[in-house]
Amino acid sequence: MNRPVKLALLFAAAAVVGHVGLVMATPHALMRVVTKRASQDGKLINQFQFGPRTTKLARGVVRPSPDLAYSTCVYDLSDGPVLVEAAPTPGQGYVSLSVFAANTDNVAVFDTTQLPQGIRFVLAREGQKTPAGEKVVISPSNRGIVLDRRLAANDELFAAANQARRADKCESIKG
Amino acid sequence: MADQRPLSRLTTASTIALGLIAGLLSGWWAITGGMGGESYSGWYGSRVTGSTDAGPWLRARVAISGLLALNRSQAVYFTRKTDDSGEPLREACRYRVTGGALPGKWWSVTVYAADNYLPLNDDNALSFDATEVASDALGQWSAILSPTRPQGEAWASTNKAGNFDITLRIYQPEKRAQDDFASIPMPKVTKLGCGGQA
Repeated sequence: MNRPVKLALLFAAAAVVGHVGLVMATPHALMRVVTKRASQDGKLINQFQFGPRTTKLARGVVRPSPDLAYSTCVYDLSDGPVLVEAAPTPGQGYVSLSVFAANTDNVAVFDTTQLPQGIRFVLAREGQKTPAGEKVVISPSNRGIVLDRRLAANDELFAAANQARRADKCESIKG
Repeated sequence: MADQRPLSRLTTASTIALGLIAGLLSGWWAITGGMGGESYSGWYGSRVTGSTDAGPWLRARVAISGLLALNRSQAVYFTRKTDDSGEPLREACRYRVTGGALPGKWWSVTVYAADNYLPLNDDNALSFDATEVASDALGQWSAILSPTRPQGEAWASTNKAGNFDITLRIYQPEKRAQDDFASIPMPKVTKLGCGGQA
């Protein structure tokens, strides 16, 4: 193989590594930033944090909706499954719980239209022992985020949503 | 005669470095150069946003521009950066958004600045939603995008938004809308004027 061909192949191989590496790493890197921030540098794991009303100053996640109240639970399944619960907002305003894996995939979502009495499930890794009779969501990663979204398009709705979400649970259980 | 000289360490390292830089730049362009997804009357949306079906490029694009987005069973998202004439949306201009009934339980239209965050204004009008617009006898509604508050109309402020974009969120969309985005009657965005009142 002559020199220019070798150089061209070397350049192309390095370019593919750079391109694919960046594309594959970006979601994980951004998720790490968000989970670190949401868990206050890993101190608040397996518990919900209740965000304030979304304003112009919201910078935690890109493109926040000013019409929703957000609560986050950074989960860690390395010590066992996690029980997640969300109570409905009085008046049946929209409430959803969504689970995002470490690669940003939305692996499960439930809402209070399907479950008007509230949402409850166990989050676990494949193969972990879970309590009998519980709805189980399998996470492909040990870490990720559960996001509680509630309709809160004005101050009054936000106050009602904020009060209701205080009953949310995201807590480690022993399988 | 072909050049058969062996590659020096410096040449090898330089070539690899240049290749990596080119790959990183092309990767960055691929995940930030466009909204991705398909266009529906000027609005861009993807049926695999937030889902486990998203490929690596779309997943990376969504992570940058819509991290933690819901999948289409809960919400569908459409974004546009231009008006109906194809011109970029600009803070200096005023626009009328018009539409009919949208196929979901609730919807909203939100203004975002070029940095993908809410514009830094104090107008308390970052979006308008289904409860704020008044529909006529034919179910048609309209709202205004402008840097100053209009009289008696639903409004989202573009003050301090620069070159902005807007996102339409339809929550709990009907099954047909989830399956076929082309069936959704997308709102129109018409420029009313720029600078002074038009």
